[in-house]
Amino acid sequence: MKKLMNAAESIVDDMIDGYVSAFEQVARGHQDPRIVVRAKGRKDPDRKVTLLIGNGSGHEPIAMGFVGAGLLDANVVGDVFAAPSADLILDGIREVSGKAGCILLISQHSGDMINGRAAVMLAAEERLRVRALPMYDDISSAPRDRMQDRRGAAGTMFVYKILGAAAEAGMPLDDLMTLGRAVRARTVTLAAALSPGISPLTGQPMFDLPDDEIYLGMGVHGEPGIGRTGVGPVRDLVTLIVDKLLGDYPIASGGQAAVIVNGMGGTTLMELLTVWNETRNALAARGIAAVAPMIGSFVTTQEMGGFSISLLEPAGDMLRLWTAPSDTPFFPSIRHAEKEKSQ
Amino acid sequence: MTGPEFFLALQARIAVHADALNRLDAALGDGDHGATMLRGLTRAAQADRGAQAKAFMRASGGASGTLFGLILIEIERHLNENAALGEGLQRACERIKDLGQVTTGDKSMIDALAPAAHALAEGTVQDAVDAATAGRDRTRDLSARRGRAQYVENGGRGHVDPGAVSVVIILETLAGKESAL
Repeated sequence: MKKLMNAAESIVDDMIDGYVSAFEQVARGHQDPRIVVRAKGRKDPDRKVTLLIGNGSGHEPIAMGFVGAGLLDANVVGDVFAAPSADLILDGIREVSGKAGCILLISQHSGDMINGRAAVMLAAEERLRVRALPMYDDISSAPRDRMQDRRGAAGTMFVYKILGAAAEAGMPLDDLMTLGRAVRARTVTLAAALSPGISPLTGQPMFDLPDDEIYLGMGVHGEPGIGRTGVGPVRDLVTLIVDKLLGDYPIASGGQAAVIVNGMGGTTLMELLTVWNETRNALAARGIAAVAPMIGSFVTTQEMGGFSISLLEPAGDMLRLWTAPSDTPFFPSIRHAEKEKSQ
Repeated sequence: MTGPEFFLALQARIAVHADALNRLDAALGDGDHGATMLRGLTRAAQADRGAQAKAFMRASGGASGTLFGLILIEIERHLNENAALGEGLQRACERIKDLGQVTTGDKSMIDALAPAAHALAEGTVQDAVDAATAGRDRTRDLSARRGRAQYVENGGRGHVDPGAVSVVIILETLAGKESAL
């Protein structure tokens, strides 16, 4: 398998070198070269709550691509597909936290949870004001009555963005935690995998899937999900996914849903826009308006083929915060696409 | 014993037992427990006084690096700053239970650590070693309820838990004592 890399040992640091040298919004932290921090227009951490996340690399642009104004204050970058260690996350917390407090976002996977929560325990010993907010949205990983056991997937970006915008506007720590939990409770995601990514560590595909099968609900590292289905018109696949999402989280006719159509790295924009179109149609057929879509490849697993659809039923200020301007290297500008187009 | 002396001695002991720990782990998990411990301790032994447990966490990586790191942080504090060892191990025990969602009887490092921490409340380090050793031996007849071992046949019954073995080695090193695995 061909990969553009020097060596498995240097791939993460080579990538971060390239990233921080290319964009004015980001820089390396002082505590460790594996910490990427917001560089432009940093606000006083005694006044603004800071947000950070630690995650394994190999899924770019998430999460280091979302460091900047109106989003994350820092990202702690782990090895490929491996959660950063607790002490490295602790360094990240030290780097950004102030009197206003700090939220460590954790996309729920076992290693990330253990290391992230351990980092928060150690930070609390240093009298740093920090909270952990686990994020989970993948409906295939656990049933609704065990929601707290679900994996984090692309729908976590709703939490990043909405909390990022709210923190930028000065929302205090406790209110941000409440808002984050509310967004989490209103978000659902389901993925469809078409073909595996290739691990840069082993050079091998991360799972096997026959050419004529699609796997519903597979996790970003190939974790098992709901099951297999055949390949047919994408309309049928998207309708199946939308029905499963609404079966888990019903939205009444006349309601609305913000949508993320996320590509996994090896799926074209042409395909993703088609998926969005069918998502919009499937929701409209059930009386639900699809609004403010985020479409593209943001939570990736190398060249993995496939996509996920995430829905958020917005409440309160969520939609305004979701579409609020931000300034990071890779988070897109999202418009409120509620304009009823005549067609 | 100082912190740096402890990490040097522990690194040497784990180096001797790494292959055996890997073999024990292969019966229950992914077979790398000895290698993971050794990688962390090799780095820790080279780190500055006071920064050794965190160097272990960083270098060993993964969840097990974090959980063992929480024990080593307390031992390091005890040796360098004279912090109470019993309280420290009790704190590490509670944290590991919380983070790993394990409790006594789940066939894990907790089966050795919890009785050791309890023994230290009134006893000596040697009492803690004895309690941990008995706990380690009890894991042979337990079946795992957490971690990879729960998917192994019979939950891995018949094999001692490698994490519990490592806890005993850590405490034996602290007691300045050598014994067979």
